[in-house]
Amino acid sequence: VKIAVTEVSRDEQKLWLILFQVKAIRARLNSLAVQRGLFWTLALMVGAAAGIVAAAMDLGPLTFLTIAAVLVALATAGSIAALRSAWLRLASPARAAAIADVRGELKGRLATIQAVAGGGRPSSLWPYLVEDTYGARGQFEPSKIEPRWFSRAAWAALAAMILAALLIPGAIFERDRQVLMAEGGGLPATGGITADINNLDIRPADPALAPNAEVYADPATLGKLRERLAQEQGAGGALSKFANKARTFAGELQDEITGQRPQDQPPVRLRLTDRGADQYASGGRDSNKPPSAQADARNGVSGGLSGGDAENPSAQQQNGSAPDSSMGSDNPSVGGGMSLPDSQTAQPPSDSQLAGDGGGGSEHGSGTDPSSLFGAPSPPQLGADSFKIAIDADPSDEASGPGSPGYLPPKVHAPLNSTQYPDEPLARASVPSVDQMTIKRVFER
Amino acid sequence: MSEAAIAAVEMPTVADFARVFRRIQTEVHKVIVGHEQAVEQLLSALLAGGHVLIEGVPGTGKTTLVKVLGMALDLSFNRIQFTVDLMPADITGTRVILSADGRREFSFQPGPVFAHLLLGDEINRATPKTQSALLEAMAELQVTVGGVTYPLAAPYFVMATLNPIEMEGTYPLPEAQLDRFLFKVRLGYPGERDLVRIVSSTTGPEQAGIEPVFPAGEAAARIEDFKRLVREVMVAPSIEQYAARMVRATQPDNVRILGSERSQIQVDAVNRYVSFGASPRGAQALILGAKVRAMLDARANIAYDDVDAVTAPALEHRLMLNYAAHTDNVEASDIVEQVVKAVRGTRG
Repeated sequence: VKIAVTEVSRDEQKLWLILFQVKAIRARLNSLAVQRGLFWTLALMVGAAAGIVAAAMDLGPLTFLTIAAVLVALATAGSIAALRSAWLRLASPARAAAIADVRGELKGRLATIQAVAGGGRPSSLWPYLVEDTYGARGQFEPSKIEPRWFSRAAWAALAAMILAALLIPGAIFERDRQVLMAEGGGLPATGGITADINNLDIRPADPALAPNAEVYADPATLGKLRERLAQEQGAGGALSKFANKARTFAGELQDEITGQRPQDQPPVRLRLTDRGADQYASGGRDSNKPPSAQADARNGVSGGLSGGDAENPSAQQQNGSAPDSSMGSDNPSVGGGMSLPDSQTAQPPSDSQLAGDGGGGSEHGSGTDPSSLFGAPSPPQLGADSFKIAIDADPSDEASGPGSPGYLPPKVHAPLNSTQYPDEPLARASVPSVDQMTIKRVFER
Repeated sequence: MSEAAIAAVEMPTVADFARVFRRIQTEVHKVIVGHEQAVEQLLSALLAGGHVLIEGVPGTGKTTLVKVLGMALDLSFNRIQFTVDLMPADITGTRVILSADGRREFSFQPGPVFAHLLLGDEINRATPKTQSALLEAMAELQVTVGGVTYPLAAPYFVMATLNPIEMEGTYPLPEAQLDRFLFKVRLGYPGERDLVRIVSSTTGPEQAGIEPVFPAGEAAARIEDFKRLVREVMVAPSIEQYAARMVRATQPDNVRILGSERSQIQVDAVNRYVSFGASPRGAQALILGAKVRAMLDARANIAYDDVDAVTAPALEHRLMLNYAAHTDNVEASDIVEQVVKAVRGTRG
């Protein structure tokens, strides 16, 4: 009896050891599954956050909002998939035993023991199975079945962190560089950008952007700008309001993320010109021209409106008053976040600064003879609307002289195959002599 | 595990099983040249408690194989040559009038079915009625004649041969009878080297002597012990599911047959070429065949590979192919191969 009890006890010990190893394998497999889910989720979240911060630094409100939404959606979907995959990878005791069977080449021993020990059918071969499996316990040590402690997904998380570490400082550096360039003379202190009002796509200001631009123009151009803004504002519907709200939200979000204040941004200086008005002026109908345009035409300058205004007191007066009275009051953030200058800040640049800005208009009055009035005409400058055509021409020996027949290209004889005939229709055509006269007569008629 | 350790446990017959199995194989191969796989399948079916259908062209040693097996096992052996005019009573036996002490009375004369090993040669030449006479004997190990049931002595092992050619005047076996064979063993023509050995061993003056594996009178009991031992082999639930999935995958996607529960695995070839798939007996054959293989590998449990190894002999004859399969020259073996491939991916 004692011997039997001892043997049973030994069998139970062996079974306990086998099941303990299976438990250890299961714990390791489940740890890896959990790690996989967490690391992938972390990688996706960090990657998406880095992308959103970088987008907030460099992109406009709507683009930022779109990209941020896409990144958030992708990160959420990816995280859900990763967590679901991790959940599915969690191993039950039977599954852990099956995995150990495959990796340890145990031919189903562990899965069978796990099943039978959990209340399966008793068998007279059970002790044999336990002994047999215990003898092969070296094949299913946890370190052999699953040697890794950390999931490979940790690399993905690490890569996402490295990406974030590179992307966010890069975006911050780029933003600071732009600010420094603007503050330190990277952009012209005065004058800024010159643009023709006819080439601008004018719409109501982006509410997400703080007014941070100074606009210079003659009163007529400003009036035109005001008209176009009024038109655009009238055209905006519910969709426009929704887009404005989205822009506002995105702008605030961007400011939150970047920690940037609107007043930190360098001002943009924009000079508006009205080339259409200049052409109108040069057409000879001076009675209908606006005063500033008339002054421009007299001075032969049309590209720089401010240059004309400098010599036109009335225009200068209008230039100083019109923005304050109309544009500044009605539309405090006119023209895509531009703030119209008051009379002091709206002083136009000097003529010398405008020397290179005349490309938009002609240098001579229409209808005059440049050779007699101003000397030799300067070569016409190609504007943005012009184009060039390059023609290659070489001298030829076969150029026709006076009275000589026109140039005929030489015949080129291409080799023919056996099914082709030489292209000699006259030689192959045989017209009877009696018919030749008839043909001749018909054609002479 | 060391030999001593295995011997120390309570079931030394696991090792005996493989040893005896190899010994029988050796005796059979004294006469049968080649056909190692067929012999192994035949012995597996015997020790799993099933019956075998042997298909092969004439002259491949079907009858010789069965005869030699009977001699090696030293069990009673009968042979029935099935012909078209064979009657059921010719197989099962009949009641005849015998006179004893001046009195005439009916007495049952056992037919050839009463033996441990029964060879039904060219079983497809008999009519379905006669073929069906074996049904009760094969399934229930008993014969009922004239309202009286006569038990058959265990072990009872039917080996029926089929000639795949000369189909004129033959009667294909009913599906119910086909399903009762555990395995279908194919015998092909031997290779050149085997053919030389066959010629040299069968045309000389001396015939190979077959020695019985078991002591006289012990064969039946020992074989029954081994059959019980096979049934003791343990099966993990995941492997039982695997076998069940394998059988389900042989059944075409037909609501009328399968009911509302569709098979998890759909094999295109099955849906296209199979009219009826394997029955639950197919799953039983898979597990029993796998158990024998596990014992041969000195294991007390079966593995997925054991199941895979017996799918061909256990399932091929259970598939009823449709006309499209015949026109496309598709064999049941091709379909079983695809089923195994498909189901193998679902191992737990």
